[in-house]
Formats: sequence, C-alpha cells, structure tokens
Amino acid sequence: MAENKKYDCIVIGAGHAGCEAAYALSKLGKKTLLLSLSLEALAFMACNPNIGGTSKGHLVYEIDALGGIMGFVADEATIQTRMLNLSNGPAVHSLRAQVDKNLYHRLMKLEMERTSNIELQEGEAVELLIEKIPQKEESKICGKIVGVKTDMGAIYEAKTVILATGVYLQAKIITGENVRCTGPSGFKRSEGLTKNLLDLGLDIRRFKTGTPMRVLKSSVDIDKMVPQYGDLDMPNFSMLTENEVRNDAVCYLTHTNLDTHKLIIDNLDRAPMYNGEICGTGARYCPSIEDKVMRFKDKQRHQIFVEPEGADTDEMYVQGLSTSLPYDVQEKMLKTVKGLENAKITRYGYAIEYDCINPLELYPSLELKKYEGLFAAGQINGTSGYEEAAAQGLIAGLNASRKIDGLDPYIATRSTSYIGVLIDDLVTKGTNEPYRMMTSRAEHRMALRQDNADFRLLEKGRELGLVDDRRYEIFQERKKEVKEIFKALKKRYKIAEVQEVFTKAEVSLPKNSISGEEILKRSQLNYSHLLAINPDFNKYSLKNLKYVEIEIKYEGYLEKQTQAIKESARLEELKLDLDIDYMKVDNLRIEARQKLNKVKPLTLAQASRISGVTPADITVLMVYFRKRQAEKNSK
Amino acid sequence: MSAKDTIVAKATAEAMAAIGIIRISGQNALSLAKDIFTSKEIKGDIEARRMYLGQVSTKNFKDKAFCIYYKAPNSYTGEDVVEIQAHGGQTLLDGIFRELVSMGARPAHPGEFTKRAYLNGKVDLAKAEGISDMISASSEAEIMQAYRLMQGELSKTITASIEKLTEAVAGLEAILDYPEELEEDTRPESLALIKEVKADLEKTYASSKNRRYITEGINISLCGLTNVGKSSLMNAILNDDRAIVTDIAGTTRDVLKENFMIDGLKVNLVDTAGIRDSKDSIEQIGIKKAKEAIQGADVILFVMDTSIEETDEEKALYNTLDKQKTIRVANKGDILKYPRKADVLIEAETGKNIEKLMDLILEKLNVKNLAKSTTLTRERHIFAIKSAIESLDNAIEVYDNMTIDCILVDIKQALRRLADITGEDVDEAIVDRVFSKFCVGK
Repeated sequence: MAENKKYDCIVIGAGHAGCEAAYALSKLGKKTLLLSLSLEALAFMACNPNIGGTSKGHLVYEIDALGGIMGFVADEATIQTRMLNLSNGPAVHSLRAQVDKNLYHRLMKLEMERTSNIELQEGEAVELLIEKIPQKEESKICGKIVGVKTDMGAIYEAKTVILATGVYLQAKIITGENVRCTGPSGFKRSEGLTKNLLDLGLDIRRFKTGTPMRVLKSSVDIDKMVPQYGDLDMPNFSMLTENEVRNDAVCYLTHTNLDTHKLIIDNLDRAPMYNGEICGTGARYCPSIEDKVMRFKDKQRHQIFVEPEGADTDEMYVQGLSTSLPYDVQEKMLKTVKGLENAKITRYGYAIEYDCINPLELYPSLELKKYEGLFAAGQINGTSGYEEAAAQGLIAGLNASRKIDGLDPYIATRSTSYIGVLIDDLVTKGTNEPYRMMTSRAEHRMALRQDNADFRLLEKGRELGLVDDRRYEIFQERKKEVKEIFKALKKRYKIAEVQEVFTKAEVSLPKNSISGEEILKRSQLNYSHLLAINPDFNKYSLKNLKYVEIEIKYEGYLEKQTQAIKESARLEELKLDLDIDYMKVDNLRIEARQKLNKVKPLTLAQASRISGVTPADITVLMVYFRKRQAEKNSK
Repeated sequence: MSAKDTIVAKATAEAMAAIGIIRISGQNALSLAKDIFTSKEIKGDIEARRMYLGQVSTKNFKDKAFCIYYKAPNSYTGEDVVEIQAHGGQTLLDGIFRELVSMGARPAHPGEFTKRAYLNGKVDLAKAEGISDMISASSEAEIMQAYRLMQGELSKTITASIEKLTEAVAGLEAILDYPEELEEDTRPESLALIKEVKADLEKTYASSKNRRYITEGINISLCGLTNVGKSSLMNAILNDDRAIVTDIAGTTRDVLKENFMIDGLKVNLVDTAGIRDSKDSIEQIGIKKAKEAIQGADVILFVMDTSIEETDEEKALYNTLDKQKTIRVANKGDILKYPRKADVLIEAETGKNIEKLMDLILEKLNVKNLAKSTTLTRERHIFAIKSAIESLDNAIEVYDNMTIDCILVDIKQALRRLADITGEDVDEAIVDRVFSKFCVGK
C-alpha cells in the first residue's frame, strides 16, 4: 500500500464555495486538495448566467477586497454590465454582470490548476475520517477531523476539511413525472456522504430549488421583445481588472399572459411541487412559475428575461420561468409567450432536491460545533446563490488556515460586511429554506456599500494575509487620491465661476462664494457639475470622485449609521464563553435558555439576535455576564 | 419544564373575608394537594380545571374546601398549579399554608408566581410589568392602567403600529431588493402608512403626558385671600370637617393636604393659608408654603368671596397666578350684586355646584375618561415611542427628496424602537412580508 497523501486542508467540492476556499488557503500557504466529483463541473454556473445583482454585487466586491478570486474571473467572463438601483440610493447601487458560463468555468479551472498549493483532483469523498475525543460535559465537541476517504478507497490525511458539496448530496432532478438521480445538468451526484454525515450526528435537511428551461436563440423572435442593453461607463468588480469589460450582449424582456397561467393551472396535477413528488423545502426567493401563478392569482402577467448563456453558445436562459412541470407542458407554455412561440427548448427546466446541514451546527467561523477542524461553506449550509457560496468559501478557507496555525478565527461582523450579515444570520437564526442575501437584511446598509468595500475590509484582509502586495498598493493609491480630492474640494469658487453651470442645472446661486464640498452637498448637483466648473478634477478617477461625492452628500445618514454601529458595538464586545450552560442561568425564560444552548453565541450581540431571545433576556444575561466577570477577576 | 422547587402562598389579602385562596405552583403541586386535600368526588386521577368539593386536613384541624388543579402548561405560571379555596379566616389559612410548607413547599417570594409565568413564556414583559404595577397600584385609574398593560392593550396598540410599519418598510425594501421585477410603485402606499402610524403613536404619546395624573394623582391647590371660604370648600369636597373653619381670617396657617378621587383619578388637594401681608411670623411661614404649593399645582382653585366687592388685593393676587391652570370659583354669594368673572358659582357651606366644579377640573386638564384609556405609564415605553415618532418625522420630511435607502434608515429605526417594547423580531418579518405581498424572486 502506498503511503497516504497528507494535506493541510481538503476541500470537498469545487464549486463557487470550494474554489474560493482553496484560493484563500493557497494564499495563506496551505497545501490544499480540491476534490471534485467532476472537473467539468468546476465553478459551474448551474442556474442563471449572472454574477452580482442586489446585495450579491456587494458580496463580490467584499470578496475582492479580501483578496478573493470571484470578482476577477467574473470581470474576465462578463459580456454585459448593468448597475441596478441607480435611482434608489448609493447604498443599494448593485453591479450585475451577464457572464459567459463556459468561459467562467474554464477561467476558474485554469486559475485553480495554476495556483500553487492547490492540487485539483477528480474524486468522490464518501467518508470523513474522525478521531473521537472523549466528550466533556459542557462542550459539544465529539471528535476531530483527520482526513477523507474517496470512492476509490484512497485515504487523504488532512488537518482540516471543508465541506462545499453544493447541491450534489443525494441530488434528485425532477421534471414532471421524470425523476433523475443526478446533480445539475446530468453531473454525477454524491452518494455516500449524506449517510456518513447522519452517522456523525449532524442535523441534515432536504432543500429544493429549481431552474428554467434554456432555448436556442435562432428560434426566438427577438423583434417581439424589449431589448435590454448594458449600462455605459460602469465599474467592474475587481480592483485587479485592468481591461475594460465586455458589454455588448443583449437581453430581452417579455411577459407571460393569462393563456400561460391557464395552461399552468390546468396542468397543476402534473407539477411535482403540487402532487407531492417533491418534499424538499423550496425558497420563496426563487419561486417557480407555477408558484407565482398560484400565489398571486390577480397578477395578469409575469416578467420573463431571455438572457444569453454565453458568447460561445446560442443557448439562452429564460429567467422567470423556473419550473418543474413536465416537458410537454413546458413546450406548450412557451408557445403562449410573445417572442417565444417557436422557441426550441435545448434543456428543460427542473426542480432539484438535495441534502444540506442545519447551519445552527456551525460557529460564525463556519467550523462545525461538533467536529474540530471540519468546516462547511456554500449551499450545504442552506444558502442559495453563487456569491453567497463564494463568500462563505473564503471565510471557511481563511479560518481553516487559522485553525492550523493555532490562531483565533476571523469573525466577519454585521457592521463591516454583507459577508458578516450572511454568516451571522445563518448561524444565529438558522434557515428553513435556501437563504438568499438581501440588502434589507443589512441593518447598517448605508455603511456597507460596493464603492467602499475596500475601505471596509482591505486593511483587515492584509492583516489576515489574504491581500497580496499588488492589491495593497492599488488600495494605497486609491486612499491617496481620495485624500487629495477631499483637499481639492476645499477650494472656493466665486459666483461668476459657477453661474453658468448652476443656471443650467436650475439651482439657486450661492450668496457669496461656494466650495467644491458645498457643491457636492447640494442634492441636485453631482461630480459632473463639479467637473464642468473645474476641469482640474478630470485628473481623478471617476470611481473615486463618485465615492467622495457619496461620502459628502450622505454625510448625515452615514453619521446616523456610525452612531447605530457604535451603539451595537457595546454588545458585540461582551464575549460569551462557549462553556456556559444557559439552563443554569437564573431568570432567563425557558425558551431563551434552550435557544441559547443550541446556538452557543460568541457575543451578547449575537445572543440578542436569536429569535426567541427577548431584550429582557439580554438584560438578564448582562447581569449574569457581569457577575461572571467579577467572579473571574476575584479568582 | 419547571423550576425545581414548589412554591406556596396565600393568594388573597391578609384581611377578614368569606373565603381565602392558597396557591401552589411547581412540579410537586399535585402530590402536595393530594396529601392535604381529600374528596369523595375524586375517582382516580384529579382532573384538570375541575372544582372538587372536599376536605382540607392539617395536624390541628379539618375544614370544608374546594380544590382546583391546573395542569402545566395550561396554568397561570405555566407549571402545575393547585388552588385551594377555604374559609377566609387568617388562622385557618395560615394553618394550611404552614402545613404545606412543612410538607416541602417553599413560601413564595413577592411576585414569584408572575415571575415564573414570565420565565415560562406565559406573559410578555409588558404584561409582567402590568401585573407588578397592579399589585402596587394606589388608585382605581392606576389599577385600570396596570390591568390594561397586563391585558396587553399597550402591546396591542404597539403591535398594530409595528404591523403597519412593517408593511410600509416591506414595500420600500421590495423596490431595493427587486428593482427590475417589482412592477408596482409602492412609495405612495408606504408613505400613507407611515403617516398613519405617526398619528397613532402621537395619540398614544400625548396620553403619556397624563401619566403622572395616573401614577401620582392630580395636584390641586386652593388659593385666595383670607377668609373667602377655602377651607369650607375643602370640607365640602371631602365631605367632612377636616379643616378648621372659623370666621377669623388667617385661621389656616399650615398647608393641609387631603386625597380624594374624581373619575377614578387620585387627587391631592392642598388647602393653603390665605394670602395677605401679615406680621404674624407663623402665618408668614404658612403663606410661603402656600405659594410653593400653588407653584406645584396642576389646577389652582381661586376662591373669591362674592358677598363683598372685588378688592385690588384680590385682583393683584389673581394676577400672580398661572391663568392656564386657574379656575375662578365664586363662593358665598350673589354674583349679580358684586359682579366679577367666575367659572363656577358655588356654595361651600351647602355643597351646591361642587359636582360642576369637579367636572371643570377634569375639563381643565383634559383628562375626562383618562382612567378608562390606554396610557403609557412606563418610562421605557415612553422613551421608545417618543424616539420612534422623531424618526418617522425625519423620514416624512425628506420622503420626496431623498433616496429610499436613506429614508429607510429612519423608518427602520422607528420600527426597532417599537419592537423593543414587545420584543419582536422585525427584520425577519420584513423579509416575510416582501415575499407574501409581492411576486418577486427569480
């Protein structure tokens, strides 16, 4: 027998979470095995051909500021760019890219192949190798991870393991009466691992999601639909991207109608969601068309966006028609839709069911409570979406590395990133359906913008070892220029200098003189007016000018947010030990005791966010906390 | 889930009454009851929520009694509870109580039954606060108010506001999270809801200004020149002879305080020394105290003797008073003979028109039916509502000029303040609302 191969970390699954995890580990000098059921499925975009969008764009920017890979590869594979929410406020400006799926997969695969410290390997993990630790009464730890066994019988030893299995655990694909035991697009599913996870005593659940059909562009009547072009002069995701991204692809808007709805209702008995075939919990965030029609009976029509799957294919994604109805109903359905009457379906829509773990099994570091060195990231944690997966992958990779080095984990906080909001929501509140990031979940939203992601996170990323010299230098340059712009904005202009621009913009003239800062403060004026008044500002980048404008214009609201963050920081700083038995804390309501024991919060702030823990319980905990501190100090 | 020890207390007051109730709560409540209470009606197990007639026995005596068993969690505390209703004598009740303690029950601490109810999730914090207020209430209005808090009236009012605000926020959040898919313009509806909530909260908040009247009572001062009949009026109001009445001017030298009730509200009535230039040092102290009492009054009854001509001294004294607070009371006489402005004409000696005067007082303070309305009596609630109103004001002010992300900073702040009162998780509720109301999601 050959000697077992040894790694610092084994990442099971090479999807969006797995790749990001492996990439972070490689940056931190950790020897990593990236194990995938099929290398053809590496970073495969199984559903929509987009990266970014509301709140997801924020995640990609944050990943980039922390030295991640997603934004950079997405930029390379972008074929159209739009900035959503431009009129709804700076906090929610959200970049969304149409991405060439094949190109994204190929580029990411190449990155993984070429990154030192990462070994790419096709293979199915069937068993996690655990070394039992005698269980202490107060702790939840049952064992320590030591390696992984594959379907070929190979044993790989490792100090840490990251589960990033996506939707592949016991996956089942359902189209009407047709049920196939495979992963997305016919890729091999994972067979043995679920049983192993159950044997390890983990809380396993079954979730469901779905995807629409794909159609051939040549069979679509684009003249009958409304073209949607990319926005001009938009930024890209990654600070490393130097070339302008591609922006020439076109999407098309059309709608369902009452005929479509009638057809769906008439065939509802053949819909797996309604005839009992599907038992997994579906997400409200990506409803199927049959769900939409049934739940919103008054709606006369639903939007459909027909989007290219890539630049090297004529297949198009029919966003809005996610369905698990039988193939013949899908065909009839398209015939009712304007522009899609003759559409040729290349792949039918389907629902997919898969196993995942209850995220309450995790600490905010994404390490499992029961097994030391075992981490989980991505859809296995009950999330949906490429960006949510990648964000968790980065954090799991980082913290696996820190575990190996004997360092405290990095806990992303709600006040500094969407990543923090995402993970805190997951491990504190759990989720009963695939969790989607939304900007409404971020209570400090004004402070968590795309344009300041690097200001929020990059220095931290540098300290953690994730940010390399190149990124760091680019950021130092940016900081320098921003400082210069603020300085240049102190310059005052006489009425005569601004009169023309102000009059054209129908803005009242200042009494005497006005500074650049005061110009930007005015709600009807922006950086472009400033450029017209003083062309010197042209030497600065648009990105930085826009950033400075937001900081000035929304100063009052940003200040409020800072205040709110300060208020919540008090509770964030009160750390709760993991060995507290809440059943023994007097005066806590019983429900709160049970919930607290299950979640094992790291801070009083996290405790306060557990559903079923009331402000009064927190007051009780505060008193308990002080008593405990006093006892500790007196020892 | 129940606390380890079983507690016992007399649930009725320490006073002579026809019946008295002993309450036991905890995991041994039922077995204790079986040991102390026997009944022919019990066949097998004691049924929950059934009243049994039987016999309660202690070492020293036996007596007829009723027994009711409430099974956990369907009881006041959420634990097993047994109530024994016996005859009302204190010796008897003490005997049963001591017997139960000797059998292993622990005497309950003050408020411990309510505390257990709270810990077991049977009442929310606002209700628990209401119960504790009720126990220590000193006026009918205070009891009513506490009762309303306990019944969750405040929670209901706030919950309705939270509900509306959540709806408003969800409408706006749907725009931000689904800018391409949301086809309806939710802005006008959200604004209407926000304005509605603000108006509701302002109403509730306005009532908090009357909070002191409920918890501390209304302060009324009698004021007037010497010997105009202030003390007689006080007696008429109190219906007894608390104040010494003579026809010697300056009889009342100290400040007399009395309590009585109007419309369920406690009133602290202060009779003061008649005010005049006096050389008598004791009377001077009295006058000084009178002036202080008048300063702290919510209502001043300015009493005039209308059997004589209005004097400059009277006019001067009236001018020193806060007109907003003052009711001009004409006493003793025929206003036509010596005409002057008066709000009410009374006869202190006979008690004529005293009722009318009481009505005027309530009107003056705008507290008619206060005892029957929901008022904020807790500082914590008042603060939360006040800051919620401020935040909504900010949002409404910039609603048409600011971007939605900014407007939501204030609206969500208001929502969180309100949720602090009831302890609800509003963030999750917003997401739920977005998806139940709008057809969004890909």
